Amino acid sequence: MKKLITGVAIVFGLILPSTYTLAAPPDDTFVVGLPTDTKGLEPAQISSRHTANIMKHMFGTLFFISEKGTLDPNLAESYSVSDDAKEYTFKLKEGLTCHDGEPLTAEDVAYTFNRVVDPDLAFVGNSAGFVFPSIDFQEARADSELEVTIVMGAPNHVALGLISEVYVHCKDSYEKMSKEEAAENPIGSGAYEFVKWDKGNQIVMKKAKGSAVSANFENLIWRVIPEASTRTAELIAGNVDMITNASPDQVDAIDASNSAKVQKVSGTRRMYVGFHQGEEYAVTEGGAAIQKAEVRRAIQYAVDVEAICANLLNAPCERATGLVNPNNAHPTLKPYPYNPEIAEYLLDQAGYPRDGNGVRFEITLEAGQGRYLNDKNVVLAICQYLDDIGIKTTCDIMDWSSVYVPKIRKKEAGPMFFLGSGGGTWNPLYDMSDLATVESGPNYTKWTNEEWFKGWKVINNSMDPYVIRREIDRMLEVFYNEGPWLLLYFQPDFYGVSNRVKWQERRDEEVDIFDASLAN
Amino acid sequence: MLVYILRRLPQTILVILGVTLITFIALQIGGDPTYLFVSERASPEEIIATRIKLGFDKPLYVQYLTYLKNLLLFDFGDSLYFRQPAMKVIFETLPATIELTIFSMLIAVFGSIPFGVYAAINRGKWLDGTLMAIAMLGQSVPNFWLGIMCILYISLNISWLPISGHVPFLMPIFQGDFMQGIKNFPTTVTYLLLPSFAVAFYSLSRNARLVRSSMLEVLSQDYVRTARAKGLTEYTVIMRHAMRNAWLPVVTIIGLEFGFMISGVVVVEVVFAWPGLGRTVFDAIAHRDIPLVQASVVVIALFVIIINLITDLIYAKLDPRIKL
Amino acid sequence: MQSLDFKNQDSGYFKKFKSFFLSLIKNKWALGSLIWLLIIINVAIFASQIVPHDPNRNNIMERVAPPLATDKDGNIKYIIGSDALGRDALSRLIYGTQVSLVVGFAAVFIGGFIGILFGIYAGYYGKWIDDIVMRLADIQLAFPFILLAILFLVVLGEGLINLILVLGIGQWVTYARIARAQTIAQKEKEYIEAAKALGVSDFSIMFGSILPNIFAPLIVIASFNIASVILAEAALSFLGLGVPPQVPTWGAMLAESRDHIFARRWWLPFFPGMAILLTVLAFNIIGDWLRDYLDPRLKEVE
Repeated sequence: MKKLITGVAIVFGLILPSTYTLAAPPDDTFVVGLPTDTKGLEPAQISSRHTANIMKHMFGTLFFISEKGTLDPNLAESYSVSDDAKEYTFKLKEGLTCHDGEPLTAEDVAYTFNRVVDPDLAFVGNSAGFVFPSIDFQEARADSELEVTIVMGAPNHVALGLISEVYVHCKDSYEKMSKEEAAENPIGSGAYEFVKWDKGNQIVMKKAKGSAVSANFENLIWRVIPEASTRTAELIAGNVDMITNASPDQVDAIDASNSAKVQKVSGTRRMYVGFHQGEEYAVTEGGAAIQKAEVRRAIQYAVDVEAICANLLNAPCERATGLVNPNNAHPTLKPYPYNPEIAEYLLDQAGYPRDGNGVRFEITLEAGQGRYLNDKNVVLAICQYLDDIGIKTTCDIMDWSSVYVPKIRKKEAGPMFFLGSGGGTWNPLYDMSDLATVESGPNYTKWTNEEWFKGWKVINNSMDPYVIRREIDRMLEVFYNEGPWLLLYFQPDFYGVSNRVKWQERRDEEVDIFDASLAN
Repeated sequence: MLVYILRRLPQTILVILGVTLITFIALQIGGDPTYLFVSERASPEEIIATRIKLGFDKPLYVQYLTYLKNLLLFDFGDSLYFRQPAMKVIFETLPATIELTIFSMLIAVFGSIPFGVYAAINRGKWLDGTLMAIAMLGQSVPNFWLGIMCILYISLNISWLPISGHVPFLMPIFQGDFMQGIKNFPTTVTYLLLPSFAVAFYSLSRNARLVRSSMLEVLSQDYVRTARAKGLTEYTVIMRHAMRNAWLPVVTIIGLEFGFMISGVVVVEVVFAWPGLGRTVFDAIAHRDIPLVQASVVVIALFVIIINLITDLIYAKLDPRIKL
Repeated sequence: MQSLDFKNQDSGYFKKFKSFFLSLIKNKWALGSLIWLLIIINVAIFASQIVPHDPNRNNIMERVAPPLATDKDGNIKYIIGSDALGRDALSRLIYGTQVSLVVGFAAVFIGGFIGILFGIYAGYYGKWIDDIVMRLADIQLAFPFILLAILFLVVLGEGLINLILVLGIGQWVTYARIARAQTIAQKEKEYIEAAKALGVSDFSIMFGSILPNIFAPLIVIASFNIASVILAEAALSFLGLGVPPQVPTWGAMLAESRDHIFARRWWLPFFPGMAILLTVLAFNIIGDWLRDYLDPRLKEVE
């Protein structure tokens, strides 16, 4: 027994010194704490903002879209558009290489684009599932050493932004790899080079020499820490430089610590409650009620969005007036105020008085949990507001990925459902393209309003920005008065940032570490 | 010995089959898993195409039989979520869980011995009471709670104790890089301390009480009185004679403990960001990643069965009264 | 004349009860535990009468109020504070008693029912029934409980019924094993032979004669089992697989309080945590005492 104790003591004595290196990361390294791991490192297969943020540091795109909508050269230095607006030709910078040394030319860019729709590889994800159908991608061809053309099926005002969501890689290296190999061994073209991926634990990158884009830190580590309080603990202890998705309730604690602070930013993700307009839901009393515009308008007055923002999200906000981000929204529409008396009056007028039990009609509100900031509590609060004005609401909160998402995709969630949709600040049409056509994937409410959808014809056929903007405003008014969304807020983002570093956040949930630096 | 192992083999295979069948049926009950593998804005045609590519359109029994056939070839299919062979994903996270589980078991088994022995020899005195009180508490606290408390009150205040994460020890060894593994070992141990404690505390408490009562029983036996009468020191009496027999009940428990410990491991792996199989399984189930879930379950089941077999053999070796 | 001397009417049951009671009083821990359990059972039964507020009424303007928080008129509104949605923590704690106890007892009842049924049949008939039951037991044991729970809950969805079913079905094996072992032991006894000779049906023998005699160790298991079911519910709530969001359980309240620890809102985890701790402890202590009382030789039963 004594020997055992002595033995243990010796082992500990040996361990202690070698572990003194734990604590703040070295000066040339930036560590990010993420709540989930990435699915894979295949550039053509990205399905979440998280993965996109990680990949963006390893792979170049043709252009960077800044938050304000300006185009900054990434791999391309200029572009031109054909007369019929269906072909975009990009001129690449000279001397580009991929991380394995292979020169990056127009041929590689064309290969990247064509590979996305390769039927043998069968990619699903943002590029194959959203970008390419949106621009009706036909083909990509290399016109010369440095000029590559993307051919679309029809003109599209947001084509440049969409095309810039595609991550470019080289031909030879990816041709040689099988799909499985590619998912684990990314050979990139961006500012950082892939070092290793310890699954579930971390992704490590180091600065690539001679890349088109500059970066400050030599090493970039993305650590996976699922438990929120553990993530915060690591931030406060100084082991991690930045955490995404800091919980609103931990904001004060982080700010109070001497080692980190929270950078709050009003995001671009539109949060809303959808009113399902499909026939299948008109069979219930509640479902039929919300298909009437007067009822929907009444409900807008019933929810105190500002209280939700201030109390549940710890981020005062102004309520949305539509689906477009504030900098591009309708110039004069004012947000619906919180006024339960007006709501009750309007519902009486619409033909839904309170019965003997105080109930006007019953309805179900469906939601997933764990995906959005404090989603469960926000939904419960909304249900309470509806209950208070006589709409007996059943709050059905289910598992996000395995139950709710399939329902949403099939457009079967309802009659009311809570959801967030990523948006942008660089063009109102990007935000509005959720409802580009009645058949659009994101038209989860199956809305068919003529007044709205006819506006797209005008927009797509015009090149005059004044005409377009006028039409946009007209459509937004329709949306305000009769739209299928209970207008809520734009989701704020909380980034916890260690005092060791300086880092600028973006509003559109994109994370750029390129320009981050040490605080002193 | 060999005969015993051979006798157990059909039973083992039956158990594994049962386990795969249960996982397969359970995951299909919920409906069509196709929707998790397309982007937020995918078209209906794309969804149908995906369904066919991933094989969800074939009848259930065909899916299951194909799966069994592949099992025999040790091909567990591709993880739908990671788009890599499931076996590969498991292999990458299994070492971390092995480290955690073995270390936890060591704590639970070897920690409980001094615990229980000291309580037994000091029976009735305050040390006994205190130790037993701690043991009772240990069996009454949710282990995720224990983990979070450890982080907040211990590791946040001790700078050399890591809060979360992992430094691999077994993995480099499996990959052949022996030196790296050995170099990492001390750091791995510091990362292991708190999570293993959180996993092991429940079992440690239970075992301690078991050791104590077992020890008390042994101490009242005749041969112990004889040893004392012979004039041997108390120390020798305990260490040489009593311990060996007091140990046995603990060994029988180890096999059952292992299965139970996996339950604690899943929760603790989430709290401490430990990149192990428990977390992989949990994420995989949430993503309806059937191949990965099935593969993980089979691997874990095999693991548990092997450990059970080993402990049965150890028990048999230690106690000559038991015939194989 | 028959004397109506009650004092001397020491029938078997009365004696048993007396010694039971005396042993209980001597062991203060067991007594304390029993008192605690009686308290919470009463709280559960009379919950709707004693709650100060509606446990599900949220009021986000008054969220995370500390204990003894007052409203505008200076009256104490939230005795032990309010949670992240402004719901009264005490009301939720009280209703949580109902859920935790119901889940605990129901799961144990289901597990016990299935387990004892299987175990007695397996022990009594032996041969192929025994084989099947033991194989099933092995399969279940090879399947770590939490994975089974995660699997079924993710597929079947949340819900109190699903939770109870999953927790219940996960427990049957221990009961089955003990019931089987005990049945095998009892099977050879004389009173069983006698009953068989008299032509009593197998069913009556199994459940009329054997079951009452093997009940003792099974009760001990049940006590420990309730404790572990309550802990399991907490773990499942932590992993997000417990009851639906509005239903208050101690485990869910504890799990929800994680985010607030850093904000020093100690009351959010403290009260549900203590409730779990004391109740689980109580069941463990009672289990211990029952085991020691009923048969000190049953040390390996746990």
